[in-house]
Parts: sequence; structure tokens; C-alpha cells
Amino acid sequence: MAQLEALLDPTGMEAGAADTTLSPRPVSLKGLTIGLLDNTKPNSTLLLETIAAQLQDQYGAGEARLYTKDYFGTPVKQTLLEEIVRECDVVITAVGDCGSCSAATVADGIMFERAGVPTVSITSDSFLMSGQAMASVQGFPGFDFYAVKHPMASLTAEEVRERAMTAMPEVLRILGVEEGR
Amino acid sequence: MTEATKPQTVDEALQQFTDMMAADGYVLSWEPSDPQRIVVRIDATEGACADCLVPVNVMEAIMAKALEPTPYALDHVILPAEAAH
Repeated sequence: MAQLEALLDPTGMEAGAADTTLSPRPVSLKGLTIGLLDNTKPNSTLLLETIAAQLQDQYGAGEARLYTKDYFGTPVKQTLLEEIVRECDVVITAVGDCGSCSAATVADGIMFERAGVPTVSITSDSFLMSGQAMASVQGFPGFDFYAVKHPMASLTAEEVRERAMTAMPEVLRILGVEEGR
Repeated sequence: MTEATKPQTVDEALQQFTDMMAADGYVLSWEPSDPQRIVVRIDATEGACADCLVPVNVMEAIMAKALEPTPYALDHVILPAEAAH
């Protein structure tokens, strides 16, 4: 008899997921571990690592740990979410530059926030509506995330770095960072 | 009725989402199902990203929100056959 695999809920919804409280903001990133959740879309890794390097250089953040989702179109699996929550103080997740991955990226951010970890979800501006809709479906219509200029996949490394630098003020605002080095 | 409160047409209300779908290779169309409701249809073009469609409940949330400035409500969304199951 064939074994049935558990179906993933593409919205990431489950019982008790209606809480909309943001996690406490850190004010300072000094020494904090940054979790980078890469959804495997092109240029995600470079975008995330560039932002993390800026947070380390300019704001004294500690280690940056890169994690990779196994599929961009659904929310992060519970086991990986728990690992990141255990190991990281703040999370940045990227990049939602398509319909399903923008929705999943926002869902990921909401899941981390509900687990108590301040998170910045990054989509592209062409898929802002998709991210906002997922936030509403998740019961968190006011979820604050950042949308970089579309496209992302076709950019050169230098262009990705420019996108990252442009994102910095919003990343800091969403994380609630008020202190530099 | 003033210009500021004039209801949008469905095409105006769905334009941003039409553009968003086009970025993933999908074409959006719509038709009335009754005088107050419309059905939104999503069709794939040859180059469509099969993994990029949002879940149907998210799609319907987007559509319902987008239609708020119009006199119409969403009836339902029809996804391409390969994405609908």
C-alpha cells in the first residue's frame, strides 16, 4: 500500500494562529544572532547576506546564520522554524518575487513573529498585494513587511547589493533598531 | 455622486492584480455571474510559472479586497486546471 504524505497547508494556518501581537523589538542589534531564511529564489542569498553584513558592520550584529527552505511556495516547515527560533534573535526572510513565494514569505514572517522573533519579510513590489492578502488570511492584516523593486531574479550582483542598501532603512525600522554601533 | 466617491470599474480595480499575474505568466479575465457578483478566471500562458500561483484562498482574498471599490463582489476564482487540485 502506498504511504500517504502529510499535505502542507499552503497558507501555514493552523489552530490558534489568530494572535496578532508583534514580538518585542530589540532596539539594538549588538551581539544578536541574525537568521537569514533563503527561499531559494534567485538572488535571495546575496540580498540576505548583504543586508546581514550591513547589520554587522553598522549596527554591531553578531553571527549571521543562513537557512534554506526546501520549497519557496509554502511556508517554512515547523522543524526548521523551531530550529531558527532556538538559534536566532531576529530573522530576515527573502525573497518573495512571485505570487506563491511572496505569500509564503509573509506567512513565514508572521510565524516567526508569533514565535517571538522579530522578523523582516522581503517581497518584491509587484507582489505586494499577494503578501498583504496572505497577511489578512493569516489574521494579521497589519503585518509590516518590505517590498524591494521588482524584478529580483534577473539582477546582477551589484544591482542586488543596491537593492539591499535601499532596503536597509526599512529593515531597521521594522526590526525596531534605534542604536548603531 | 462626486468623482472622489465614484465606484471604480472592475477593470480599474483589478488592473494592479492583472499586472501582478502577468509577471508570473498568467492572464486574468472576469465575467458577471449575476448583477452583483463576478467570477475571476486565471489562465496560464505558455511561459507561466507553474509553482507561482498563490493558494486559492489567498487569491480570493486578493480579489475580494480589490473589488471593494466597485459595485461588485467576488463570486469565486477559477484557477488553471493544473493548479486547481
